[in-house]
Amino acid sequence: MKKVLLVVALMTMTAVSLFAQSRTISGKVTSPEEPEGIPGVNVVVKGTTIGTVTDFDGNYSLSVPEGRNVLVFSFVGFLTREMTIGNNSVINVVLQPDLKTLGEVVVVGYGTQERRDITGSVTSIDNRAIENLVTPSFESQLAGRAPGVQITTPNGTLGAAPIIRIRGVNSITGSASPLIVIDGVPVVDADRSAVNASNPLANINPADIESFEVLKDGSATAIFGSRAANGVILITTKRGSSGKAQVNYNTAIGFNEAQNRFDLLNGDDFVTIANERRANANQSPLANPSGINTDWQDLILRRGFTQQHNLSISGGSDATKYFFSMGFTEQESALDVNDLRRYTFRANVDHSVSKSFRIGTSLNYSFTEINGLNQGANSLSGVMLNATRALPNVSPFDPDNIAFDGFNVTPDGRTTGLGANLAGPDNNLPNIGFVLANNLFRNRVHRVLGNAYGELDIVKGLTARSMVGVDLTLADDFQSLDPRHGDGQSVNGSVFMAFNPVQRWNWQNTLNYQTIIADDHTLNVTLGMEYQYDNFYNFSASGNDFSDDFFRRDNLISGSFNNQFSGGGFAERGFDSYFSRVNYGYRGKYLLSFTLRNDGISDLARENQRGTFFGGSVGWRLSDEAFFNSNLISDFKVRASYAEVGNTEIGTFAAFGGFNPVLGGAGAGLGYNRIANRGLLWETSKKFNAGVDMTIGRVTLAADVFRNNIDGLILSAPTIPSLGVPGNSINQNIGAMFNEGIELRVMSNVINRGNFSWNTDFNISLLRNEVTNLVQPIVGTYNRTVEGGPIAQLYGVRWAGVNPNNGNPMYFNGDDIVQFNLVPGATGWRAFDPANPSDVSVGATGPTQDFLGNTLPTWWGGWNNNFTYGNWDLEVFLRFSGGNVIMNETMRGQLGQGFSNNHASVLNRWTESGQVTDIPKQYTGSDAVMWQTGTSNSRFVERGDFLRVQNIVLGYTVPAATLQSAFNGAISSARFFAQAQNPFLFTNYSGLDPESNVFAGQLSFGVDWNVTPIFRTFSVGLNVGF
Amino acid sequence: MRKINFKNIKLAITAIAIMGVASSCDVTDLSPANLIPDEEAFGTAARVESVVLGVYESAQAGFYLGVVQRGYPFGAANVQQGDMRGEDMYNDQLFYEITYVANHTPFSANNNGMWISIYRMVNRANIVLENLETALQAGVINQQQRDVLRGEMLFMRALGHHELLVHFARPYMDNPGSLGVPYRTVAINDVPLVAENEAVGRTTVADDYAQLLADLNEAEGLLPLERNFSRVRRGAVIGLKSRVLLHMGNWQGVVDELNKLTGTYGLTDSPVTPFRNWNSPENIFSFVHTAESNAGVNGALPAMYGNPARGARGLVKVSPLIWRSEFWHPEDLRRSELTDRNAGGIYSFKYTDVVTRTDPNPILRFSEVVLNAAEAHARLGNSAQAIELLNSVRDRALPASIPSFTAGDFANTDALLTAIFNERRIEFLAEGRRWADIHRLSGEGLMDGIPLKATSRSITSLDFYTTDREIPTDHALPYTDTRFVWPIPQEEILNNSTAPIEQNPGY
Repeated sequence: MKKVLLVVALMTMTAVSLFAQSRTISGKVTSPEEPEGIPGVNVVVKGTTIGTVTDFDGNYSLSVPEGRNVLVFSFVGFLTREMTIGNNSVINVVLQPDLKTLGEVVVVGYGTQERRDITGSVTSIDNRAIENLVTPSFESQLAGRAPGVQITTPNGTLGAAPIIRIRGVNSITGSASPLIVIDGVPVVDADRSAVNASNPLANINPADIESFEVLKDGSATAIFGSRAANGVILITTKRGSSGKAQVNYNTAIGFNEAQNRFDLLNGDDFVTIANERRANANQSPLANPSGINTDWQDLILRRGFTQQHNLSISGGSDATKYFFSMGFTEQESALDVNDLRRYTFRANVDHSVSKSFRIGTSLNYSFTEINGLNQGANSLSGVMLNATRALPNVSPFDPDNIAFDGFNVTPDGRTTGLGANLAGPDNNLPNIGFVLANNLFRNRVHRVLGNAYGELDIVKGLTARSMVGVDLTLADDFQSLDPRHGDGQSVNGSVFMAFNPVQRWNWQNTLNYQTIIADDHTLNVTLGMEYQYDNFYNFSASGNDFSDDFFRRDNLISGSFNNQFSGGGFAERGFDSYFSRVNYGYRGKYLLSFTLRNDGISDLARENQRGTFFGGSVGWRLSDEAFFNSNLISDFKVRASYAEVGNTEIGTFAAFGGFNPVLGGAGAGLGYNRIANRGLLWETSKKFNAGVDMTIGRVTLAADVFRNNIDGLILSAPTIPSLGVPGNSINQNIGAMFNEGIELRVMSNVINRGNFSWNTDFNISLLRNEVTNLVQPIVGTYNRTVEGGPIAQLYGVRWAGVNPNNGNPMYFNGDDIVQFNLVPGATGWRAFDPANPSDVSVGATGPTQDFLGNTLPTWWGGWNNNFTYGNWDLEVFLRFSGGNVIMNETMRGQLGQGFSNNHASVLNRWTESGQVTDIPKQYTGSDAVMWQTGTSNSRFVERGDFLRVQNIVLGYTVPAATLQSAFNGAISSARFFAQAQNPFLFTNYSGLDPESNVFAGQLSFGVDWNVTPIFRTFSVGLNVGF
Repeated sequence: MRKINFKNIKLAITAIAIMGVASSCDVTDLSPANLIPDEEAFGTAARVESVVLGVYESAQAGFYLGVVQRGYPFGAANVQQGDMRGEDMYNDQLFYEITYVANHTPFSANNNGMWISIYRMVNRANIVLENLETALQAGVINQQQRDVLRGEMLFMRALGHHELLVHFARPYMDNPGSLGVPYRTVAINDVPLVAENEAVGRTTVADDYAQLLADLNEAEGLLPLERNFSRVRRGAVIGLKSRVLLHMGNWQGVVDELNKLTGTYGLTDSPVTPFRNWNSPENIFSFVHTAESNAGVNGALPAMYGNPARGARGLVKVSPLIWRSEFWHPEDLRRSELTDRNAGGIYSFKYTDVVTRTDPNPILRFSEVVLNAAEAHARLGNSAQAIELLNSVRDRALPASIPSFTAGDFANTDALLTAIFNERRIEFLAEGRRWADIHRLSGEGLMDGIPLKATSRSITSLDFYTTDREIPTDHALPYTDTRFVWPIPQEEILNNSTAPIEQNPGY
């Protein structure tokens, strides 16, 4: 932030007037945080227009006419100070920061802007609230902190990437995730692991971050042009400031545990249900009581240890400033074997070569290792599916079974031991304990994120800057499956390894001119160009049919396997852009901003690859008008913006088509892979925003309304399968939709009395999405997107309950009710006559389908409260969301009709005539008809509203005097803290977590299907400054 | 002379630097490294050959639930779906449950997978057919090359459409005027072609069979007699024609097709040989697999049908109904050599490479053409020839001590036909042929839909095979039932913005 101020100051030169007959006063202007001097401070002789500004080192010299005795020192962000000259010829001044406005210089993309002058919609988030939290990646902690921003952690597996949406879903088949820019360089946001989830943002150490800026409306994002449709998150990392070296050490130690687990049948109840289910279908019993009651969830869940350590050194001289840090974190999730280790190193250096030439670098290296597991929702070794289906009257262990390491496994290795039962679990489910102990999934990422810049002041106010950024990801995968049992048995053991690098370079050149004309007109013009090139490539090797299990534990070992496979791929993307921005202000009252950008992208055909995007905004600070006279309202600004931006994440080479290599049994050939559409154009978003910023007494308020119209959506438009078009789709500019909403943020220092204070920060967002043009519906298993409704509504059958008379499941067929007759030899759909519910004589067709609800939350927000009392501080952060529905596929599966364990609620099944229940008569093998698998079912559609206590943090800062006496000044500050993350959840949703989501894409949303449990974290920690 | 202004020099240097950058940095003129553009794909003879191999690949590795997996349509799925619709193979797990119990819907995966993957293969074939002519004119390939490749593609197109007709349309012998399937003959490789061809609706079953024969007759004249079994040769076309004619009830045609093949192909001495030596004279055409390209652990025949004791998954067993049937002789080699067992039941052992899964998928065996002709002779009243052909298939599986069938064994033609149908069930067990027989025979009125099957997921022990333990049965489906033909996938109807085709009645 200081650095930013300095740059701004250099641009803010005013004319120097000289008078004869005067005395010369000189001195230096400093602040507590900038003891080396503040450049650009206005120094004016009170009562005259005579003045000057301080130079680069904060020095000034000024001739003061006779009779004048007071100097006024003013600078944005600082309290204005008047000094009486008296007999002094040297007057040194220490300016105190104006806390009301300082820190409100915000990064806006290719530059900075003062908060008070911003006319777009930008939310800043200070990292202080986040950096001590135990978290696999920073962005999951941004949830609820900024209006308009939705961040969902979809499952509890470490490495899973949170889903980020800014002002809703703004693309149907392109990416809906925002652009992420770290220290000016857009970063690659691609999971490069083929074996487990590996969130690329988990490579960044949250403790290195200074602040986040979320750019939401068209005007704020327009400078990012074609990449801006989904909003932009700008991240600024910490930098040094001059002064004595400061050493900080932060640590936290704690544990993760599952927030929730399923209530499943115990062994004895399972036997009852399983045999009843078969008896109802005239089949022989398979289950026998054994006295064993296993909760297989015990084998997959644990209390995971977590720790993190961060050490940083920062400081500098007048010319050189540095920030170095090292970080280490180790997190074990609540899932057995799933953990994350990250080592990070950062070096940020800024150096002034001369008064007009500055250079600097940001350099981050990190190494992240994630050990994962099979979490496939429908995989037999998928932890959640397996642990909720495994038979509870069977023990997981069999100490005598040495061939399988003491796990209970059948001698042929096909499935879990049968125990007392006559059959094993459906689909030969493996023993998940053995699988977790023996199958390995590992991803390692080396990540280098760096940039270097040079900045030259050409003339007063005119600065040229060039920056080269690099984002290098070196990701490697290792997956090893045991030959004895589980997924590796069919291939007699397998090892898969892959190297999946990504390289990006980004080069930006900007010219910035800032000036103040005739005291009243501020002008800030930025011109620039940007080039970016990405190269994704990968190769893999794998082997199966191992000679000995011994060789598969650590790496591929040559000669140890019979079948050898290899593969690879290569893709590149290029992007260039020429852009300009003009900001104009008149006395801070009337503010204008205009942005124009021309972008080209290699994903589109040469003749159609350029797009021009513009944005503009206006602001009016009413509170500065003479007519505005309110003691209550100290600041009142209205603003409006409009912009057209684009979306680049439309798929690599989206406009291209042709034949790709395919390997068939008859030989390597060429397969028709995609129909080219060289006419493909940019997808454009037209974004309108209007807002107010207000300070009323102690309350600061920001409110925005917005509407985003997206036209010419790049859609992989479905084609009818009988045409045989590759992928049954062609990329086309088809469709339109809008998002509209309201955002409100209210902040206040509620109480500030004695040594107690309470600050509160509340935000809420309302959002509505509607698809306005689509040629044909987009159909998924659970969701359907059609004109006139929000994207990805649930679509499926409507449940009509259980026929109390016979226990048959009933569904709607149009307005009629039909039942599936669960009687051996007479199964089939029958009409249901409410007047005669026992009548099953009339045949019927199956249920019809309908829309079952909107899957996108329509309201959400956060409420943060900070209390301090003396040396104690307490943060309570709440988060809420709702207005959406969830398809609880997990529950449907747990009420399955096979020879598998069930959710305990199955005990409420229909057993006798007249019984009113929502679980039909049990009938083996009837899943497809009873529960209508393969489509959504209103029986399992639930509201997703929730209130979550996200964080409770209690801290104690050791008084400086105590530290002084105890450590003799060796330790300058110390704070202890205890944190509970995600401790409480209030919801009516019956699954594990209403934010669970199995699909990440925007077209299949709102489905909870065997998702790993989201965990909560308890930790204690310490911050020490030396 | 003007003084040089230092500041202006800096400005000029900056400006020049920026202009230099702007002109030298082109990062957007890129093209994919993994896609050969349409206009270059038929540029050399080698590429033409590669694109043809790509059609074979799509036949064995098509889409199921949006992913290339499980051997759709002809890598394994045609066999599994064909068996699971019938009663002779038994479903023991969830994998094929929907097909086995006929709970398919317009959005269930297996039936949709067949539709989607077959038409994908057909379009690849049509793209080749269209471009062969251009390549010929351009001199990239010669007339002979063009003819052979064209013959292969016509066969593929016919094979695909016939499989569709068997699943998604009523049988020819019931009513040739009933709804067929869209017969695709135009390559769809450009955006405007989509709307034009969306309008092509469902022709009649008769139209489709006419086009099948047209394709096959042309192919027959183009292809060489001698070639490896993994590529389409003239015999494959004739074999498929025999099958198509059988479905049409063109008995003389079926007999004629056999005569074209006799001499070139033959029955092996043992019924086991075709599954142990894939290059036997009995193998007319198979889709081949390699370690690198097969239907995978979730689809490959050896994995799904094999015995768990050998490391297979054993999701499908031989049905105890056929195992205990009276018509399957206890000493039949096809019992002892081509099945396998564990405590849970009896499995097919036609496919053996459990770990590497390289077993080819037999599409046409000479024994099928023989039994087709046996049936045709019987229909034509030539019992002697019919019995001779039936014996040629049956006797090789039985000990010499077991007498061949004679005319005296059959009270009438129906009895002879029944024996032929039963022989087909035994001979093609686990080869997916059962459904096609149920389909055509039901259409002809000789069967009433799908007979009772062993109840899904109920055969948990070898006892059901080796003792007289009662076999639970269920899942019969009369011919008149809506579900006898599969529904058209809902995507096919919903995504057609021009003229959605008609859904099969009742769905």
